[in-house]
Amino acid sequence: MSKQYDIVVVGAGNAGLSAALHCASEGKKVLLIEQHNLPGGCATSFVRGRFEFEPSLHELCDIGTAEDPGEIRQMMEEYGVKVDWKPVPDCFRIISQYTDGSPMDVTMPSGKEAFIEQMEVYVPGSRAKMEEYFELLEETMAGTAYISASNGHADSKVLKEKFPNLLRTGSYPVKKVWDAIKLPKKCQDIMSTYWGYLGVDMTRMAFIHYCNMFMKYVTRAAYIPAHTSHEISNAMVERFRELGGEFWFNCRAEEFLFNGDRLCGVKTSMGVVECKYALANINPDIIYAKMMPKELVPEREKKLSAARNHNYSARMYTVYVGLNKTAEELGIHDYCIFLAGTSDSAKEYRDILGGYETNNFTIFLCNNIANPQASPPGTSVGFFTSMGNAEEWGDLSQEDYVALKNKYAKKFIRLLKERAGIDIAPYIEEICVASPWTFARYLGTPEGSVYGFETAEWDGMMARMMMLGSDYPIKGLRPIGAAGPRGDGYSSAYVCGRLMARLALKDLREEGGEH
Amino acid sequence: MAVNVKVGLIGALDMLKFKNMSKVREAAIQAAPAKEITADYPINQKAKALHPDYQKLVVSKIINHTGAGAKTFVLESADDSPLAYFRAGQYLSLKLKLGDSVLSRPYSISSAPKDALAGRYELTVRANPGGFAADRLLEDAKVGDIFFASAPQGNFYYEELRDPKNILALAGGSGITPFLSMARAIIDGTEDFNLTILFGSRTEDQILFKGELAELTRNDKIHVIHVLSDEEKPGFEHGFLTAELVNKYAPEDYSLFICGPEAMYRFLDAELEKLALPRKNVRRELLGVTKNIAAHPEFPASAKGMSYTITVRQGPRETAVSAIAEEPILVALERAGLTVPSRCRSGECGWCRSKVIAGEFFVPPENESRRYADKTSGYIHPCATFPLSDMVLEVPGEYVGE
Repeated sequence: MSKQYDIVVVGAGNAGLSAALHCASEGKKVLLIEQHNLPGGCATSFVRGRFEFEPSLHELCDIGTAEDPGEIRQMMEEYGVKVDWKPVPDCFRIISQYTDGSPMDVTMPSGKEAFIEQMEVYVPGSRAKMEEYFELLEETMAGTAYISASNGHADSKVLKEKFPNLLRTGSYPVKKVWDAIKLPKKCQDIMSTYWGYLGVDMTRMAFIHYCNMFMKYVTRAAYIPAHTSHEISNAMVERFRELGGEFWFNCRAEEFLFNGDRLCGVKTSMGVVECKYALANINPDIIYAKMMPKELVPEREKKLSAARNHNYSARMYTVYVGLNKTAEELGIHDYCIFLAGTSDSAKEYRDILGGYETNNFTIFLCNNIANPQASPPGTSVGFFTSMGNAEEWGDLSQEDYVALKNKYAKKFIRLLKERAGIDIAPYIEEICVASPWTFARYLGTPEGSVYGFETAEWDGMMARMMMLGSDYPIKGLRPIGAAGPRGDGYSSAYVCGRLMARLALKDLREEGGEH
Repeated sequence: MAVNVKVGLIGALDMLKFKNMSKVREAAIQAAPAKEITADYPINQKAKALHPDYQKLVVSKIINHTGAGAKTFVLESADDSPLAYFRAGQYLSLKLKLGDSVLSRPYSISSAPKDALAGRYELTVRANPGGFAADRLLEDAKVGDIFFASAPQGNFYYEELRDPKNILALAGGSGITPFLSMARAIIDGTEDFNLTILFGSRTEDQILFKGELAELTRNDKIHVIHVLSDEEKPGFEHGFLTAELVNKYAPEDYSLFICGPEAMYRFLDAELEKLALPRKNVRRELLGVTKNIAAHPEFPASAKGMSYTITVRQGPRETAVSAIAEEPILVALERAGLTVPSRCRSGECGWCRSKVIAGEFFVPPENESRRYADKTSGYIHPCATFPLSDMVLEVPGEYVGE
């Protein structure tokens, strides 16, 4: 016996939740299944003692104010999802080294004017260049918005007339553009800070992609939910239920079922479900290798996978700390401190991937700075983030696992003390370390990566968007999530989920029209 | 007017490059070989080995602790899967099929983590008043029996990043088991800390693992002080585990780790207040759920003796289950023969997290460990939640072997 649905969404990660909500909003009969008993994937929380921990979200970049909402605030409002958004003060503090070797300890505010103003303090004489640069960013943003709105049918005449600099810079890596416009080196170093959020260094990151994220953080400021990202995921689930959606927790998709070359259902740990369409919040490599008949995998998809060559991005490593002193008492004044060995992002990336000895990169975040209620009175809560190396964690034995997790944790706690003068060690009431193993366990992503495939060089976001019609041509099945066209990050995943759901519904309408 | 950006020498030609992005991408794809796609990752495989959905175990040996009213069950893999490694102090949740019920019980692993690598876990079960599952295990389980167990669970372990080097353990009865594992891990070099155990037993005869503990204390990192409550004997401490006793044996800068029966936790509440330790220095193993909930000061008197129907949705299935106000919802689900997820049975781990679609319920404040958003949107942990009306509940599936 099986149940029938219009759409089955497999995986309630950010993209899955967004896709399920979109389909349910359009009146479809939707089943959302999730292999864990919590929604959200990365966007969740866990409780230890008197602390509830945010596991992954640093800051959302496209919320904006209620009066001038960004894309994600708008999307949530359209979905009818209510979240208590808290603004994050400042863009970031970075303690590192400039590429010339001199020490860097810089705190950048949000807001274009304030950002330029502060840059002038750190890099005297940079104002004119920075103003020019922001003009370029604004044009690029406007051009990207035009391309996005045209659903892959951008008029090249319009692009040439209105957004010539987008066309000139868009396909180049950030570093090339910065050098071409002769942006002072120190400005470049400071503005490289966000590279870790996308997991591609500035020599290979497409300018258009970085520019979009950077502008949103700087001009719209960043936001977090008041009660961890579980608040967002949970609110999305509740709204999905209100719209008539069905949600099965602890239900694992085992296989996609086909009638000929068209998807007709999903075999799950709770039985077979029939459906017209499946949206899979799963890396396409896993879908093709493990979850569907091999003979239905198209040649071009095999080539695409081979070209990507398992180049997954951001095998996450995190340390969560619940502290028995307030942020104030501990001398923590910044929401987010980037501790990096160097602001040369290409070198930094190589060093991270080099493993324990060379990895000096961690982002320390204290939730209480943006949200004093993030933990009980008299305490504070935060986490360190870094990335892992596939071999170091892949070759590790069960016996040595805790030791390696803790070795990294000790290093990052020490780096915070040495570089920022913040000593948390004596005040740790709860601590929990999550490695790529942990992310692999909870997300099921390849190697515990959270960013999908690297959005670098030939496989950048814009190129993927332009080829939406060519990738993943399986009838009735579309992968969604960080491996999708929009790349990684909460916002990208939400947008990707909705975009792919729209395309799925369009496919269904067109198929329906043939009868 | 926007700046006219020139990249390198190419000027206006750059625009073509933008347009050509998809051609460049297609060329990169076409240049790659059309080989079989693989998705076998060592990191994922190792994570799975550490956290399997379940473990199929067979009883290979039973050790009788006569006098203490307990047995140690030696368990080995029943399906050639390697046993999951663990941290000394963690527990396994055993699924037990008793009549029509499928229920789970958490038991601390008393063997060393290294034994798991050698293919062996040891669980020690002791008879306790009203201990339905323990009685069945002690009376019925025999060598060759198959049990499904969870992966190792729980946060009751020494953590060098948090704890001082000295741990003072307060153990009552079978609450010795996680400390036995820790002591064994210290001896084989897996763990590195000093462990002083104040071990409460009724009489000398009833001391669990007396011989093993004596053996373990030959290592100078391990000390055991036996405390007898029901008899006076020279060479022992007497009475309950008190603040006074803790202070007598406490090393400098220590954390208190506590594991024992409900009565011991209740008694220790006042003693802990006297000790006034920072919260970071006090760890309690799973508290369980108050057995006599009707006597709980916050339990609504009107609910006493009431019985209800809970409509349970689990994936595509819907089942009506009868429940009573004085029993955790999880117990009602298990009695009805539903296979539902649960691990800690103390409200803590959230494994049984379920959505209340309709109905009223009571969560004892001492078992409250829910996420903020869950509390405000009707999610409960059925193992530590009592029904106060008919209910409609959505529960997650459970991964379990045949």
